[in-house]
Amino acid sequence: MTIQKNLQGTTLRVTLEGRLDTTTAPQLEAELKASLDGITELDLDFEKLEYLSSAGLRVLLAAQKTMNKQGTMVIHHVNETIREVFEVTGFIDILTIE
Amino acid sequence: MKQRIWNLKLQPKLLLGLVVMAAVLAAALTPTISRLYRRQMESYYTQLAFDQASIAASLIDGDRIRNYYPSGEKDAYYEQVRQYLLTVKQAMGLRYFYVVVPEEDVMVYIWDAGTPGEEGVCDLGDTDAYYGGGDELMHAAFSPDAEETILITNNEEYGYLASAYVAILDSSGEPVALASIDISMDMIDQQIRQFVLLMFLVICGVLLVSVFAYYFYIRRTLIRPLGTLHQAALGLAEHSMDHLDDFRVDIHTGDEVEDLARAFQYMTGQLNDYIQNLAQVTAEKERIGAELDVAAKIQADMLPCIFPAFPDRHEFDIYASMTPAKEVGGDFYDFFLVDDDHLAIVIADVSGKGVPAALFMVIAKTLLKNAAQTGLSPRAILEKVNNQLCENNEAEMFVTVWLGIYEISTGKLTAANAGHEYPAIRRAGGGFELVKDRHGFVLAGMENARYREYQLELGPGDTLFVYTDGVAEATDAANTLYGTERMLGALNAAPERGPEELLAAVRSDIDQFVGGAPQFDDITMLAIRRRDTGTEIMKKRSVEPRLECIETVSEFFERELTARQAPPKVIAQVNVAIDEIFSNIARYSGATSATVGCEVETGRAILRFTDNGRPYDPTQQADPDTTLGAEEREIGGLGIFMVKKTMDRISYSYTDGMNVLTIEKSW
Repeated sequence: MTIQKNLQGTTLRVTLEGRLDTTTAPQLEAELKASLDGITELDLDFEKLEYLSSAGLRVLLAAQKTMNKQGTMVIHHVNETIREVFEVTGFIDILTIE
Repeated sequence: MKQRIWNLKLQPKLLLGLVVMAAVLAAALTPTISRLYRRQMESYYTQLAFDQASIAASLIDGDRIRNYYPSGEKDAYYEQVRQYLLTVKQAMGLRYFYVVVPEEDVMVYIWDAGTPGEEGVCDLGDTDAYYGGGDELMHAAFSPDAEETILITNNEEYGYLASAYVAILDSSGEPVALASIDISMDMIDQQIRQFVLLMFLVICGVLLVSVFAYYFYIRRTLIRPLGTLHQAALGLAEHSMDHLDDFRVDIHTGDEVEDLARAFQYMTGQLNDYIQNLAQVTAEKERIGAELDVAAKIQADMLPCIFPAFPDRHEFDIYASMTPAKEVGGDFYDFFLVDDDHLAIVIADVSGKGVPAALFMVIAKTLLKNAAQTGLSPRAILEKVNNQLCENNEAEMFVTVWLGIYEISTGKLTAANAGHEYPAIRRAGGGFELVKDRHGFVLAGMENARYREYQLELGPGDTLFVYTDGVAEATDAANTLYGTERMLGALNAAPERGPEELLAAVRSDIDQFVGGAPQFDDITMLAIRRRDTGTEIMKKRSVEPRLECIETVSEFFERELTARQAPPKVIAQVNVAIDEIFSNIARYSGATSATVGCEVETGRAILRFTDNGRPYDPTQQADPDTTLGAEEREIGGLGIFMVKKTMDRISYSYTDGMNVLTIEKSW
């Protein structure tokens, strides 16, 4: 998985490409942990993300919890497979998906 | 109500009959008796008339008459005679008493008895015309030896008269005059009228009395007893025949009615006995029926009936069905693993039907399974079981058996046939055809019978179909046999179908053929198909149970799925499942070795994860609450939950110290 970050002021745009699974989730977790300080708007672009597993969900949940305290988090371009995962797990109600 | 109508019917009939009978009697008797009476009276008066006429004729001196006629002179004797005649006339109540000389055209009166002034009394010399045939008769009587002929006239002028004429002779014996008497017989008519009236009155009286007497008699002896019987019968019906044993009819007429009542009572008694008996028999039948149902259930439960029978075995598909003709049948099938690599398949048909066949079936099935599980070859199994069944086989029952031992890893099938139907086999890509194997003798038929065994090989995708004679011998309404040709036709309509679909197809073809005709024999079928998975049924790969190896596993599965044109979405979902399952194994199981297996057919994939870690069944894990908000959310359990949701089937088993988790996904 590749992670691209683009910081503009307090807005952080993160573009993910590949698979967010057990192996790659710690990578994203580390990236976010290092970058979220002072961020009021977190944009996640899933356009090139193939799928995510529960490990990925765990990272997204942690990020959502953090952003709940300091701003907003929006996920963009969710494909069908991932949307189903969100729906099945009830994450669709927790996350903001556009 | 019914009683009244019924009463009105019989009573008037009988009474009317009585009246008609009396009327007929009266009508028949009255003229007869009247005629008889009239004849009697006429005879009596005739005699009377002649007697008096004869007396007068003999008394009157004939010689003297010549003095009076034609001279016309009367004397003392004339007066004396007149007085005599008058006396007799009055005493005897005669109408006329007179003496005349019958001339040619008229008669000339000599004497005519009558009181002076009496009307119509003639004097000496008076003449009178003859009347009513008197002319002929008087001339006939005017002879010394004339026959006594009475003249009976009935006219307006003189009334109903009987006239007698007797010749008065002179001393030379010549007739000189006729002593004539007319007796009125008007009283005869009157008497007859009186008689008829009397008779009518008597008949009416007698009839009235008879009718009353008869009425009461009939009532007492017929109507009332019949009514009692009628009421009793009605009562019996109204009480739903509940008290048949209490039924009594109190009729003591001592005639046929009492016989009828007694017969009715007897019939009721018999009916009661019969109903009691019937109720008992019915209850007994119901009990037996209920027990038979239980027996049929037990029997059905003895046959493996949970499909898929071996969810962990992906080398073959097996399916079987039995439809008993009666409550309990003699057909059975069986299949069970002898060891990890050998599957025993049995199909058999016990002679006869019903409970005896079912009992024998249980014995045969048990013995066959026991023998097979000791690892014997089919030939040895049949020989051993044959001898066991022959012991104490007093009922002379037997069973035809086809038995095969299927080697799962190679597809080799060793089979032996004890008088059973030919199996049908379908080679992949071809159609079903019968395997004309050599039959041995039926089991339990003869001790120490020898059996031959033979080998077949099921290639990948090959299917074996075995059945009982209930299939080939199913008959339609016209008694035409279904036959193996039709069976093969049904199988070959779409031979590539799986065992379950094949059996259903044959079944529905038989049903269609048979139509409304009753099923005579059990219909039992079994099919096994070796799965078509290339040379290796399931591709396996050993993987170290570490998180770093997830990618290896994903790559392995992805390659297989891509090769079978699985859609990207399925591949993504499968990848998620692999990630969840394998990360679990790597993290929590403590396993030191793991194997992943993959079997992909067109449109379906089976993935298997085997590890030697702690026994853990992820399918039993409770589903997380997916409705909670972000703050309350816990991440545990989500992974396996996602697997359950996205995969079609997930099954777990712990065998030989290994966790085996299998997931299936179709597309």
